[in-house]
Amino acid sequence: MHHGTSRRRFARRLPPPSSPVPRPPRLRRRDLLRGGAGVALGLPAAGALSACGSTTGAPIESGEVPLDLWTHDDGYIDYFTEAIPVAEQDSEFAYDMSITKIGASDLVTKLIAQAVAGTGTPDVAGLEIGAFSRMLRGDIAAELLVDLSEDIEPFSDDLISARLTPFSKDGAVCALDSDTPVTVLYHRADEFERLGIDPEFGTWENLAEIGRKLAETEQLALGAFAVNDPGGTVQCFHLHLLQRGGDLFDADGEPTLMTPEAEETLAFLVDGVQSGFLATVADMYGPAVQSGLKSGKILAVNMPSWYSSFGIQPNVPEQEGLWRVAALPVFEGGGHRAGVGGGTGFGALRDKPATEAARNLVVSGYLAPAQQVKRYKDLGYLPTLRSVYDDPELLSLENDYFGGQRLFEIFRDIVDDVPDVHQSADTTIMNIVLSGHVLRAFRGDVSPAQALADATDDFRGQAKG
Amino acid sequence: MTTSDLTTAQRSPEQSARSASAPGDARGSGSSGTRRSSLRGGLAPYAFIAPFYVLYVLFMIIPILAALYLSLTEWVGLGTPSFIGLRNYLNLASDSSFATALGNSLVYTLVAVLVVVPCALLVAQALNTRGLRFRDMFRVAFFVPMVLSPIVIALIYSLIFDRDYGLLNSSLNALFGLPHINWLGDPTLAKGAIGFVLLWRTVGYLTIFFLAALQNVPSEQYEAAALDGAGRIRTFFAVTVPGIKPISAFVIVTSFIGAAQLFDEPYLLTRGGPGESTISIAMFIYRAAFERQQFGYAAAAGVVLFVIVFAVSQGLNRLLGIGRDS
Repeated sequence: MHHGTSRRRFARRLPPPSSPVPRPPRLRRRDLLRGGAGVALGLPAAGALSACGSTTGAPIESGEVPLDLWTHDDGYIDYFTEAIPVAEQDSEFAYDMSITKIGASDLVTKLIAQAVAGTGTPDVAGLEIGAFSRMLRGDIAAELLVDLSEDIEPFSDDLISARLTPFSKDGAVCALDSDTPVTVLYHRADEFERLGIDPEFGTWENLAEIGRKLAETEQLALGAFAVNDPGGTVQCFHLHLLQRGGDLFDADGEPTLMTPEAEETLAFLVDGVQSGFLATVADMYGPAVQSGLKSGKILAVNMPSWYSSFGIQPNVPEQEGLWRVAALPVFEGGGHRAGVGGGTGFGALRDKPATEAARNLVVSGYLAPAQQVKRYKDLGYLPTLRSVYDDPELLSLENDYFGGQRLFEIFRDIVDDVPDVHQSADTTIMNIVLSGHVLRAFRGDVSPAQALADATDDFRGQAKG
Repeated sequence: MTTSDLTTAQRSPEQSARSASAPGDARGSGSSGTRRSSLRGGLAPYAFIAPFYVLYVLFMIIPILAALYLSLTEWVGLGTPSFIGLRNYLNLASDSSFATALGNSLVYTLVAVLVVVPCALLVAQALNTRGLRFRDMFRVAFFVPMVLSPIVIALIYSLIFDRDYGLLNSSLNALFGLPHINWLGDPTLAKGAIGFVLLWRTVGYLTIFFLAALQNVPSEQYEAAALDGAGRIRTFFAVTVPGIKPISAFVIVTSFIGAAQLFDEPYLLTRGGPGESTISIAMFIYRAAFERQQFGYAAAAGVVLFVIVFAVSQGLNRLLGIGRDS
């Protein structure tokens, strides 16, 4: 498991602050005794834990502010470090930032544990979309995170609403997404040309027909599907389902698997896997997919925009110039031009001395158009402001790995048809339950419709707890 | 030699005590001094054993009571738990996932008790063979998996069992032309793979116990059996097995408890998958608490696991006569 944490500190030398900076809490004998008594009391302690959100010091309104940021991604460490001057420009804060890197799932676990302990929570937290779903249970998100609704008000017409939904609860926006991770078709242009595959793919059904023949004659696949990683299995299904016009949950967090869209999508994928049009791999990042890409057995994948940086380029750097990005084929039955997958929202922790400074850092770092341009150039994450898609600098960027393609033209073309994604506190239950039944359908043990019905039943059974 | 010739060090404790409390002793001050002294002597043992019991109560009894209470509540990890009575237990009873976890844990305990323990005994018997060279080297080799990090073991075995690029499939394919088998992706095979890793990891550790027990079986009993014309198998069951019964009982009970709480292997190798086909109860509890924020539900599952392990362990204790003189 990847539980290692690393810590980097970014301090700035500054004149004496204009407001007193609270000292870090010191353990006193009385605190120790009180802590011991708390442990000894045991049972009542559970009730006392409700006080986790209490302010631990006077709010800092200006001057030097020590600020802790937690993230799971190295890219954000550099991004936020470089965003400090921007945040300082818009405010009277002088940031003294410490950044801690933790695994995406562990970050939420530790965040809640520290909140229960009443100390040691970060001021800013980067919440991977799958891990964030855990914070939707009960009042966790509302107790811990600042509602950013007011901050986004001036941008409400410009912000892509589909990226607010996953990090919202009961109308409150708990975090700002880093990305609009639209799905595209990464494909080997050289091989497609050799095999005479028209780059205007038309429909999925058309591409699947070509793929079936290729699998038979040349043992080549035009897609990949993760089968050993429950989260990956469901993500592969979800990407297609979203494009087809379905989703795993509705706006109320209720499962929506028993729909024609879901059944049709799963039937399409089952047929794809059984015919060999889609290759099965352990996961979409490890040795199996790498080998498939390197050997030229997997010629295309349907994955989000960030997969270029996390999947294609790291696995097959030697194939630079051979890959291209294209808008996805569409389903004959309807739906969208793209799906979406992934995302990471950054939120500010409530009721802390540095809450205002944290809020300022997140808002200025994420909603300034120049920062959105920078984020795409540095990290490859697509803007969440619609207007930035018309930025001439981004539109003119050519990507050497993809043969000098102007990727942003493709993203701009499809971004207006990005589907909403709805989260549920029970997303992790859905991942486990659905992955098992999807695999049963792949093995031919049950029909796609039966697999989805069984998954819904099991989900409801487990979600009761 | 008279009593007065004895030095203080040579006196018996009783004599020292008598002389210390003798009437007219300059140190004694009547009955109150006697009471203080006896009070001091009476409390001293309790003071010495108190640290253990304080820690025991703080870190064992109170958490168990807290878990019992939590199991009757709904709690997401923050805020005040809300009391829901026995609803968590009722939900567990109808939760197919928990039933799967129970079934899988039963399989793992059966593997531990019926496969791992006999294998450990066989290995110990082999290592106990008279005249065996490099005995210590073999012993270390068998023990090494126990001191390896489970993460390392999982990494190695995930590479060995990988369907497309694993050592096992490559070997089977090269030697026998077999197609690639999905060891960790097939529900039945994945359980078998976890059972094998469990065997590989723990057999060496249990072997050490059996080896110590075998070396303590009196050689005269083997000689007597040989004189009586007993063969190897007869000797094994008539001399060896009764001779190592106390250790065997201990090994069986601890293996059962360890396997009932198995977490590392399924979590690291398969994450409980494919689907939920290899999930154990310990993993179910972890998942409910730390991936789903269902702390009350997890506590209820923990209580059920505790009751099962406690009851079966007690049954095994009675069956195997642990702690009783033969």
